[in-house]
Amino acid sequence: MNAPTDRHVVDVADAARERWQREYSAGVADQGDVVNVSGIAIAPLYTAADRPVGGDAALGYPGQPDYTRGIYATMHRGRTWTQRQLVGLGTPADYNARLLALLDRGASAVSLIPCNSVYRGLDADSVDVELLGTCGTVVNDAAHMARCLEGVDLARVSCAMNDPSPFTLLAFMLVVAERRGVDWSRITGTSNQSDYLSHFVANHMFYRLALPGARRVLVDHIAWCRTHLPRWNPMSVVGQHMQQAGATPAEAMAFTLATAVQNAEDCIARGLDPDEFLPRFTFFFDVSMSFFEEIAKFRAGRRIWARLARERLGAKDERSWRFKFHAQTSGVDLTREQPLNNIARVTAQAMAGIFGGLQSLHTDAYDEAYATPSEAGARIAIATQNILREEARLTDVIDPLGGSYYVESLTDAMEERIVAIMKTVDDAGGMYKAVESGLVQRMIGASAMRFQRRVESGEQVVVGVNKYRDDDAAEQRPPVERPDRAAIEQLRDALVAAKAARPAAAVARALDGLTRASERDDGNVFAAVVDAARAGCSHEEICSRLRRDLGFGQPLVIV
Amino acid sequence: MTTAARPLASALADRAVAGDRRALARLLTLIDDEAAGADDAATRLAQRAGRAWVVGVTGVPGSGKSTLVDALLGAWLAEGHTVAVVAIDPSSPVSGGAVLGDRIRMTANAADERVFIRSFSARGELGGLSRAARAAVDCFDACGFDRIVVETVGTGQSETAIVALADTRVVVCPPGLGDEVQAIKAGTLEIADVLAVSKGDLPLAAQTARELRDMLLLRPRASGEWRPQAVVVCALDGSGLDELGAAMAQHRATFGVGRRRTAARDPVRAMATIGNVVASPTPHDDGWRGRIAALAARDGLCATLGIAVRGGGAGSAVVAMTVDARHLNFNGGCHGGAIFALADSAFGLASNSHGPVASGIDAHITFQTAVAAGDTLVARAVEVQRSRRIGVYRIDVVREHGGGETPVSSFTGTVYIQG
Amino acid sequence: MNDPAPAGFRPRVLVTKIGLDGHDRGSRIVAAACRDAGMEVIYTPPWQSIAAVVKLALEEDVDVIGISSLATDHLIVPKLVAALRDAGLGEVRVVVGGIVPEDEARALVADGVRAVFHPGSTLDDITTRIRDYAGETRRARAGAEDGR
Repeated sequence: MNAPTDRHVVDVADAARERWQREYSAGVADQGDVVNVSGIAIAPLYTAADRPVGGDAALGYPGQPDYTRGIYATMHRGRTWTQRQLVGLGTPADYNARLLALLDRGASAVSLIPCNSVYRGLDADSVDVELLGTCGTVVNDAAHMARCLEGVDLARVSCAMNDPSPFTLLAFMLVVAERRGVDWSRITGTSNQSDYLSHFVANHMFYRLALPGARRVLVDHIAWCRTHLPRWNPMSVVGQHMQQAGATPAEAMAFTLATAVQNAEDCIARGLDPDEFLPRFTFFFDVSMSFFEEIAKFRAGRRIWARLARERLGAKDERSWRFKFHAQTSGVDLTREQPLNNIARVTAQAMAGIFGGLQSLHTDAYDEAYATPSEAGARIAIATQNILREEARLTDVIDPLGGSYYVESLTDAMEERIVAIMKTVDDAGGMYKAVESGLVQRMIGASAMRFQRRVESGEQVVVGVNKYRDDDAAEQRPPVERPDRAAIEQLRDALVAAKAARPAAAVARALDGLTRASERDDGNVFAAVVDAARAGCSHEEICSRLRRDLGFGQPLVIV
Repeated sequence: MTTAARPLASALADRAVAGDRRALARLLTLIDDEAAGADDAATRLAQRAGRAWVVGVTGVPGSGKSTLVDALLGAWLAEGHTVAVVAIDPSSPVSGGAVLGDRIRMTANAADERVFIRSFSARGELGGLSRAARAAVDCFDACGFDRIVVETVGTGQSETAIVALADTRVVVCPPGLGDEVQAIKAGTLEIADVLAVSKGDLPLAAQTARELRDMLLLRPRASGEWRPQAVVVCALDGSGLDELGAAMAQHRATFGVGRRRTAARDPVRAMATIGNVVASPTPHDDGWRGRIAALAARDGLCATLGIAVRGGGAGSAVVAMTVDARHLNFNGGCHGGAIFALADSAFGLASNSHGPVASGIDAHITFQTAVAAGDTLVARAVEVQRSRRIGVYRIDVVREHGGGETPVSSFTGTVYIQG
Repeated sequence: MNDPAPAGFRPRVLVTKIGLDGHDRGSRIVAAACRDAGMEVIYTPPWQSIAAVVKLALEEDVDVIGISSLATDHLIVPKLVAALRDAGLGEVRVVVGGIVPEDEARALVADGVRAVFHPGSTLDDITTRIRDYAGETRRARAGAEDGR
């Protein structure tokens, strides 16, 4: 703290603090300690005394290392965050309609969530028809992708494909771009959730190849994109899955940074220079209801990443040190009871993400807790962002909470906690080994159980669930939309027909190309996936062949 | 309300033997619940049992045993066998409940019609084997399953219960145990007919196998007794599975199947024929460790020839030496005297490990294969017999290489014990 | 005749997921809670086929099957109920936990599902009711077997 030189000033300051302490203790019944989700104790008041000497000066400026206040000098004042809403439902035609409507209303980028069947590596003709298109769009080949993206200018709109190894959706998209005469070097976007480790940890549906196979294909993908898709972000390191699975905010940030380090080291081992690929690393996080904790988490993350990139990974370019992240408001915080309350929740979560300095934001629809979002819910989610930006004018000031005694204290405390957890991972041999052995899963499982007990005991209030209940709330839940069964069946039948009509030799050759690439250490599997997409191979055909060659992913289950 | 009709368990037993899987599953529950007539039904089925090969698979949590069992399942199914798995997990001492998760690793094979997997909780019983699990083995046997795997969590001496139940016992060790190898020696290691070092793709696996082989050889062994084998296995790519299968088959060929029934009839004779079981575990004497280290440190010849201590025990020792220019004879091969010195060093350390000074009074050596510069030789001494004044030791010298070991020399020595 | 579900009996419960979804935070917590409540829980990874679940239920002689459904996998639970019946396991109670819209929850119960647990159910509530349902299964089974 700034030490006052005047004895009189010191005396006055001490007296003031003592008076506050007295009045506070008299006025507040014994509450016990308040502890945030990551386990850090929270005081009722923070003052200059909580700041280290020179702490404010050490904060620095936005756009300058270590970026605590933001990765760019201009932040949202210069360019607002990207409103990238995840969209996924039904058939490609359904997706296209919803997408064009959202783009019309202010969403500035595309994000495609495929159906769970796609995540499992299956085509529509392999799955119970009841399960198709309920949580995402069915996309099984380049023709489907073309329908999804009708009317979207791929040279100008940023696209995110939510698709893990072997990234077939991106391959389909590139084939579509090629056929439309769009130069690949102009395409921007992200291989969203390309992080195989977080999927493995959270036993996510996004699980296809065995760990070693997924590891190899990821590096192939990064290397290929560097050459052919210079404006594309092939690496999206995900913290969201782990936090949704129960990791505390500090754990989620620590495990995510550890994953990024692991992936970076794998690329360096492949012979890539960190400055060649780190500028294209992006992060994807959860934003939960723990408002200030989330802000501190992001600010601490930025600082730690800058240091790691520079000191541990040897990156020299400042662009490699910048922690770029997309945030999604936390779905597990939303409730089924009194669902309209979720609009308030999403607003608070979005604000925390914005104050945390995100680059891109997805706000959940209020009905997300019990269904795929309705059109009405999706519209309100976008409007929420518009309101925060243009009515509450949250973009006027960069890092407005910078210098706050609480936020800076908490940022420091979160940084310490995150670094300690990362050390646990390092001691286990790095993130890959820690995940393979189940250590990370055990830690997350323990946090999940702790949180559950806190909710059940009432220590953590969930409005409408364990407090402020309203048992007549059932009418507030709008009916759930399910995709049109007839349209789905038609899509499936058309797919079967399309597969039968293809030149079989070209398909077989392309699939063999996948095998050849897998067998050679210097083969690039993703390049072979793009070739296969061009030859008309379907998603399941590509995934099955690679599962055969590189291993079928089996989840590691820890109870 | 029962009538004079026979108990349900009896009817289920008849149906189970006729191939009704549901009846078999229900019977196992009745036995577990100690329902009326269940014990009689179990006994009746036990009398029909004795054909199946019962393989016990034990290992600490995280050792990879379930994955290994799955690999065994796959191999046996490919050979056309029917396999039952009795998977036992510990129960919570607090609630008595359990999560039975061994099946998780066997998902693909579990779907096969020729496989029947039943999970049990240990229910707090010592030995990790519930009474019901033991009865289950007889039931599966009587119902025609020709291979039965009993999978338990091995945490120490309590796992010796698997000894009496299984015909062939496989202990699964994760690689990289280091000093923990000593810890598992008491109890678990001693019951192993075959030791499978899992996760064979890891670099430490080969070393762990070597350490285990050393430990196994140090144990006293009567002539003709089964020598436990250590195999490195990688379930991911299947490497080592053939060797594991061969070692197990060899054991089966030697000792046969159905031994639990022999044990039930004649416990004393059974213990004598059950391979390498220590009938009453000797108290753990750790003093040897310090003694052997101190003796080796004082030995001038060991220092001169580069002979190093690898391990030891009460009455045993393992030393090693890499052949270099110092050890060569005029023909360029390893000097017989150097090999003798190596074996004799092991002899001396083993015979002096108990404390009282023991002096060699007789020694014989045979040389079986040529040894060249660069070879690493390992000498292992075991105590054959020891009375108050006289001790007899046998030392095997082997050449150690990547693929295993080649016998080089046999040495026997007698000491006179002073004091 | 012994009470097939006496006070201290140990229910055997299968906790699993069928269909396409892989999120299992909830099912793992429920499995652990059932163990802590004294039950024997057989836990599987997600993505089990209906045939695999039926085979498992038969071999392990489970009392209750708990299906976790966070997306739409509950839509094929009626197929599981039918398959259990066909295999002679019709008395085994099936419960579903997770995110299930009201009308679909009602349909599940009409199709033979014993209960649907929504988010907000406490672990105590879930384990108590599962124990009750296990007792129902045992009594139903005993009744059927008595007739033989």
